[in-house]
Amino acid sequence: MSNLKAFPTGGLYLLLFFLYLFGPLAVMIVTAFNSSSFPRISPWECLTSDWFFKLFEDETLIAGLGNSFVIGIGVVLVAVPVGLAAAIVLSQVGPHLRSVIYAVFIAPILMPGVVIGLSTLIFWDRLGTFFGADYDSFFYSGMFLTIAGQVTFISAYSMLVFLSRLQRFDPTLTEAALDMGASQTQAFVKVLLPFMTPAILSASVLAFLASMENYNTTVFTIVAESTFTTVLAQKVRYGLDPSISAVAVIIVGITLVGAIIFENYNRLRTQKEARAAAASSVPPVARFATNPLVIIGFVLVCMIGFVTWVGTHDSSVCEANVEQMKRAYQQEQLEQQRNRTPATASEPAEQASPPANTGGGVFSPGNLAPGQPEQEEAPASPFGNVFAPENLQGGD
Amino acid sequence: MREIGRFFSGFANRNGLPVAIYLLVAVSTWIFVLVILPQLTMFDFSFRHNLPPPKIGGPEDVHTLEQYRYFVMGNEITGGGVNTLDIAVLFKTLVAAVFVTIIDLAICYPVAYLLAQSSEGSAKRLLVLALIVPFWVNEILRAFAFRILFGATGVINGAGMQLGLWDAPIDFIGGNVALYAGLAYAYILLMIFPLYNAIESLDRNQIEAARDMGASWAQVHRRVVIPYAKPGIASGSTMVFMLTAGALAAPQILGGPSSLWFTQIIYQWFNSGGNWPRGSAYAVILLAICIMFVLLIMRVFKVSIGEIGR
Amino acid sequence: MTKDITLDHVSVSFGDYTAVDDAHLTIAGGEFFSFLGPSGCGKTTLLRCISGFQEPSWGEVRIGGKNMAGVGPNKRPTALIFQNLALFPLMSVADNIAFPLEVRGIDRKARRKRADELLELIALPGQGDKKVGELSGGQKQRVAIARALAVEPDILLLDEPLSALDLKLRQHMRRELRAIQQQVGLTFIYITHDQGEALTMSDRVAVMSRGKVEQVADPRTVYDQPASSFVASFVGENNALPGKVLESGDGRMVIDIGLAAPVTVAAGKGRGRKLKVGEACHVFVRPESVAINGDGDINRFNATVIREEFEGQVRHLIVKSGETELRVTQVGYGNGASGTGASVAMSFAPELAVPLPIGHLASA
Repeated sequence: MSNLKAFPTGGLYLLLFFLYLFGPLAVMIVTAFNSSSFPRISPWECLTSDWFFKLFEDETLIAGLGNSFVIGIGVVLVAVPVGLAAAIVLSQVGPHLRSVIYAVFIAPILMPGVVIGLSTLIFWDRLGTFFGADYDSFFYSGMFLTIAGQVTFISAYSMLVFLSRLQRFDPTLTEAALDMGASQTQAFVKVLLPFMTPAILSASVLAFLASMENYNTTVFTIVAESTFTTVLAQKVRYGLDPSISAVAVIIVGITLVGAIIFENYNRLRTQKEARAAAASSVPPVARFATNPLVIIGFVLVCMIGFVTWVGTHDSSVCEANVEQMKRAYQQEQLEQQRNRTPATASEPAEQASPPANTGGGVFSPGNLAPGQPEQEEAPASPFGNVFAPENLQGGD
Repeated sequence: MREIGRFFSGFANRNGLPVAIYLLVAVSTWIFVLVILPQLTMFDFSFRHNLPPPKIGGPEDVHTLEQYRYFVMGNEITGGGVNTLDIAVLFKTLVAAVFVTIIDLAICYPVAYLLAQSSEGSAKRLLVLALIVPFWVNEILRAFAFRILFGATGVINGAGMQLGLWDAPIDFIGGNVALYAGLAYAYILLMIFPLYNAIESLDRNQIEAARDMGASWAQVHRRVVIPYAKPGIASGSTMVFMLTAGALAAPQILGGPSSLWFTQIIYQWFNSGGNWPRGSAYAVILLAICIMFVLLIMRVFKVSIGEIGR
Repeated sequence: MTKDITLDHVSVSFGDYTAVDDAHLTIAGGEFFSFLGPSGCGKTTLLRCISGFQEPSWGEVRIGGKNMAGVGPNKRPTALIFQNLALFPLMSVADNIAFPLEVRGIDRKARRKRADELLELIALPGQGDKKVGELSGGQKQRVAIARALAVEPDILLLDEPLSALDLKLRQHMRRELRAIQQQVGLTFIYITHDQGEALTMSDRVAVMSRGKVEQVADPRTVYDQPASSFVASFVGENNALPGKVLESGDGRMVIDIGLAAPVTVAAGKGRGRKLKVGEACHVFVRPESVAINGDGDINRFNATVIREEFEGQVRHLIVKSGETELRVTQVGYGNGASGTGASVAMSFAPELAVPLPIGHLASA
């Protein structure tokens, strides 16, 4: 830290900031494992992996994911070459023209996504009308329109990636290639492109992710079809459901794993370069624990563990118990009410109580708390599959 | 004209014909077919009547100011007056976007400064990496997380009531608290990174020199760090304002039932409203305001567009 | 096979700025030829004209009698070694050397064979699979040369390739470059601002200033018989003494340079220029040409030592006589006389002084 005195406050501030950054995500992730049908932490009902299964059974979401994937690939295939071309053109024009062209190239990033989406929609619709195209031609295809709309601004993103890499390119390398008899095309393919390869990779990842997560433009251009994001938005708008939290768990997980692998790959590379340096001073245990390969391996083991857990964990017994307790609690309330006002309470009581057939007020609400941890630790019960998740939710 | 011809022949000489063709075709397709022509079409469309498809291109398809008149005056049937509803929504959207931008700037400046000027290499890299992680979580999910936090039975109401701060659940959604918090959260990284990049390139000796000459920390920031970070501040503010003003997902998910975001009106005209020309006109209005905002920022901060886009 | 290179009244201008002004000279095949001049003198532009990265605004570049106008750098029989070497960082050493063959469509095996031959030539056998980043500065230098030689060009162009090296390595590489040039028998055109490099390696040197070629000659001539006041002041150390011609006669001139008495200098015979009586001029006297306590009678004067600079093998005295300051260099401790304030008698031979008309001098 530049300022030792400010360190405690600064550190505290950073801590609070990262809490703010990750807190909402953490809460969301935890709700994915609560069997409560509304995404919440308290009251905690049962540790469950059912929401993941519900997710995999959601056909519209899976179909949307498929569409998003196709669109993402399409966007990468178009936006990355366009971005590269834009960066190269920009690097070749004079300083005066450069600022003008730069402003034009950067404009799609600054434009609201909504505007890009609907201008794309209108433009191709007009064009389709002009050519008298059929309604099933690409002018009206949601997939095509979405790729066109997203490429508009994602090209500018990838251009920025290429520009920063291009700044470090030594143009004498191209001259050297030309001088040694290479044609301009050869110099481009053999010298410039290999230099740009890392940037091409990162621009591709960036473009794909930006495409996957885009909503504002896509919601206009997708027309009758759907993408992962639009399905998700639909789900969120029309009812909160912990299976959305399960989506978040998966996405956060993938992002974290990606980030860890990326970081360790980088560290591996720097380590390779300066291997001899500090190897001796670190105790062997610490060295083992911080070895990038060990970390990557650990992450992979965790992932496999998690997936197996999701596949095998069975919370049905616990959930049945919670269900029972809820009913018992209701029953008890009803009886209390009935005792107090026996005449008027009977009607609503019949309505409120579902086809309750399990044993009555054996469990009081007070018994709930101690019962829970036992159930959580309970291993997969042999007759768990009798209760399908849908049945359990129906009783709420 | 000859200048252009000379530029192209020079360009082809420099890159070789195949590469020159690739570069020019890729860039011109992008700029003309994907950016400029759709904008022009939308602009033209916003000056037309809402006609059923068979009548488009027919004698009734003439230019009109009807759509813009509606935005200002409202419906003819409801009588002259002023369309207070839509204008109020636009105004509210802009004010809220400015508010969110200021909040983000206030939150991010210390973070960017602390991160950029701290020396620990690998810890710093990890923190910067940690900043990026939430950014790759879908926008919808980020809004959803705030829905969970701020719901009537959400974590915040739960904690607040547990601690006895308030008795009945507070309606954060209806009061738009959830919306503003969610928007500020959603675009916070677009504020942090420009600031971080700007401050990181500041030579630490400058700060130390200023301290050495007796400047207080407030003075160091006011006279040294902030002027230096100005392009970053301009860039971050522009990005956050643009994205907030143009946000659609967060208002749809977190907005209270009575409040509308301007983009939602555009969305309604396109979907349930079925009036594309009117939606276009509203989009043109939004775009024009965004352009004015960028120009304003450039003027106020005396920066070029290149510094904003970075 | 060696080819002459002719620069036929070549000029290059960028807008109002003239980078090369009417360069007119011929470089013989097999020659080690240097362009020497301070930065911004136009030597790099001239090199780019020869290699084809720059078209002359006027005039012609001919290689082997053939006009090179419109011939791209990839079609000329020249190979350029860049100032920063421009080795491809992502390729191995062998791939770098074989690159010119690769772009000519020669198969991998033949390429590798040629690369190995060249590695042999530059004394880096078996290092072909290394990455460029693993080489030392001098090794990179040699790889760049090998790469340029891969397709047997007629002319090798070198753009200050030694400037990034430290002093010892630079001196070693001078000898090595010269040895390689003699071994392969190619024309080397060498660009440098370092006169030591130009003088030690070259057969002939062209001294440039402000876009103009001031003199083309072998190193000895450039040093002893500079053709202009710029060359005299740029190459080696020199005392530039402003003066006025009093007499101009048969092989001799008498010039007043502000000493107690006018001096006599040799004129004509390649040494300096014959000047008219009354003309203002510079008389150049090299610091090592001034004798202290010598026995010469001509051009003898007394001076006071005002400063002494000790540099190891040589010692410089800055002396003053009348209004004229002179720099005098002695090997070792010379002829005694030393110490600031000491008065010494000095002299120089008429044929070691070079009178030239007033012109611009190299800035210190």
